[in-house]
Amino acid sequence: MARFLAPEAFVAAAETLSLLPFNLERMGTSQYLVANMVGDFIRLTERELHRLIDLRLQPGDGLYEKAYAAHLITGTNQQAQRQLLALRLRSRMSFLRQITPLHIFVVTLRCEHSCPYCQVSRQSTDRSRFDMSDETAMRALDIAFSSPAARIKIEFQGGEPLLNLPLIRTIVKAAKARSGPADKVVDFVIASNLAMLNDEVLDFCKSNDVLLSTSLDGPADLHNENRPRPGANSHELAVAGIRRAKEVLGPDRIGALMTTTEASLDRVDDIIDQYLQLGLDGIFLRPLSPFGFALKTKQFQKYDAGKWLDFYERGLRRVLDINRQGKPFREFYAALILTRMLSDRPIGYVDLRSPAGAGLGALVYNYDGSVFASDEGRMLAETGDNAFRLGHVDHDSYKSLVLSDKLIDAISSSLTQCAPECSTCVYESHCGADPVYHHATQGDALGIKPLSAFCARQKGIMGLLLDILENSPEDAAILRRWAAS
Amino acid sequence: MLLMPQAVKGFAPPPVGTVVDFDASVQGLGALDAAAYRLIGTATCQIDRVADRYVCHLIPSGNPQKGAVPSPDDLKERFLNLVADENLRARVAEKTEGVRNVILALAFGSLAASQKDVV
Repeated sequence: MARFLAPEAFVAAAETLSLLPFNLERMGTSQYLVANMVGDFIRLTERELHRLIDLRLQPGDGLYEKAYAAHLITGTNQQAQRQLLALRLRSRMSFLRQITPLHIFVVTLRCEHSCPYCQVSRQSTDRSRFDMSDETAMRALDIAFSSPAARIKIEFQGGEPLLNLPLIRTIVKAAKARSGPADKVVDFVIASNLAMLNDEVLDFCKSNDVLLSTSLDGPADLHNENRPRPGANSHELAVAGIRRAKEVLGPDRIGALMTTTEASLDRVDDIIDQYLQLGLDGIFLRPLSPFGFALKTKQFQKYDAGKWLDFYERGLRRVLDINRQGKPFREFYAALILTRMLSDRPIGYVDLRSPAGAGLGALVYNYDGSVFASDEGRMLAETGDNAFRLGHVDHDSYKSLVLSDKLIDAISSSLTQCAPECSTCVYESHCGADPVYHHATQGDALGIKPLSAFCARQKGIMGLLLDILENSPEDAAILRRWAAS
Repeated sequence: MLLMPQAVKGFAPPPVGTVVDFDASVQGLGALDAAAYRLIGTATCQIDRVADRYVCHLIPSGNPQKGAVPSPDDLKERFLNLVADENLRARVAEKTEGVRNVILALAFGSLAASQKDVV
């Protein structure tokens, strides 16, 4: 009588298994978070982890399937998984092909605000001393157009850049004239407090496709406390400016950023409500940066990473609540990290990448012609620290700036891929090096990560996002939508 | 009863540390170093070689970056967990160094160009 063969007969011939690289982090008692080489996460018990490392697993035991799907094991002779990981890694890092896409022009250091946490030392007098000259601007433009990126963004900053609108006009006109022959697409952004916004500025922005970016710290009392100006009407002017810009330029042509001061910590709902009332499509919950006036006035020391993470979690959960009620609204930093965690899209966000974005992601041309590796680098210089000053537009070319020893040292010494703790961190694929931050806070571009508030914040946010993705299905669906678009 | 006046006001006793030692023939120094690094901000760790043992002196940081000052037992448990995890990381690194280099070469190195037609 014919019989079926035993199940073992249908199993493929036993193949030698190999372990693929991964990072791990203990999470509570007997549980580990494990990330493969491109940052896909999986949770394993301590027993499972030991079995995995010893390769004591076989088809049908559950762990084998889990480890295979998570690219933690492969057949020794199988090439597909290695090629797949290489392809995904190459895709994730392909932001490196677009070298120096961002060029920041500090057209003036003058400002009519006097914010205690401002990252830049503001100057209110002496136009000739603190405004960028036409000659400096054109030299900076030469450098910007020498960068290899096919699409560059020119961002105007200050001080308050609208105090030097004539120079902005000159630079935009000259950049547009060069873009065709140079075969480059050029985008423009003005980062302004909007206090000087008027119809002339709006007409200029509209006819030249210029985006506006502004600061909005929350409701009037909070915003005005953070951002003093004569007349104590910073909030009134910012809100009026946002409304007017949305009306004239379109709803997606202006964005706002907030900065968290000590006074913000208990006000996250009020802050988010302010953004909702203005019809903005999301909020970027940002901590204070340890640069410029924020250091001088000791604003930076007024809260630690733990307090900021509490603030952030309350904010994120409030944003998710708004989405559950049917109103699409994002927290932009979470969206950025989720795109890293849930896709292989190349995210070259200058503050969250390794190799660091300093110089390779952005160059900053200061009003006096000095060139810096990042905006934070020039803020440090305003308080006397020239560690990230790469050169001067009068004496340097694009190549001499990005190949300077100073920049190469800062970037190579801060790579997370080979830094202590970072290189074995389970979140490494989604994190970044921030040499300027660590230089400012610890006097070292690499920094000691167990002491780094940057590290604590990154781990805290990614841990929170993973928790929501795994344990709150409705919120997880919202987070996935943020990563998909 | 008269009390003696305090010689020092607000005196804080030095943090109480603990000692953990390992058999140097079975425990690598690299994992101890890495574990000590991860403990920065919570405690300092001085590692001495004494005969065939690594002796780790753990002293809680006076101004801990990560919450309250841990007790000697908590500190010991924390350090042993860190060492155990570093041993696991070392084993994974040892077993995967070759394939990591192959993947990196496929992605960015000399093998990347030859993969263009294949992948």
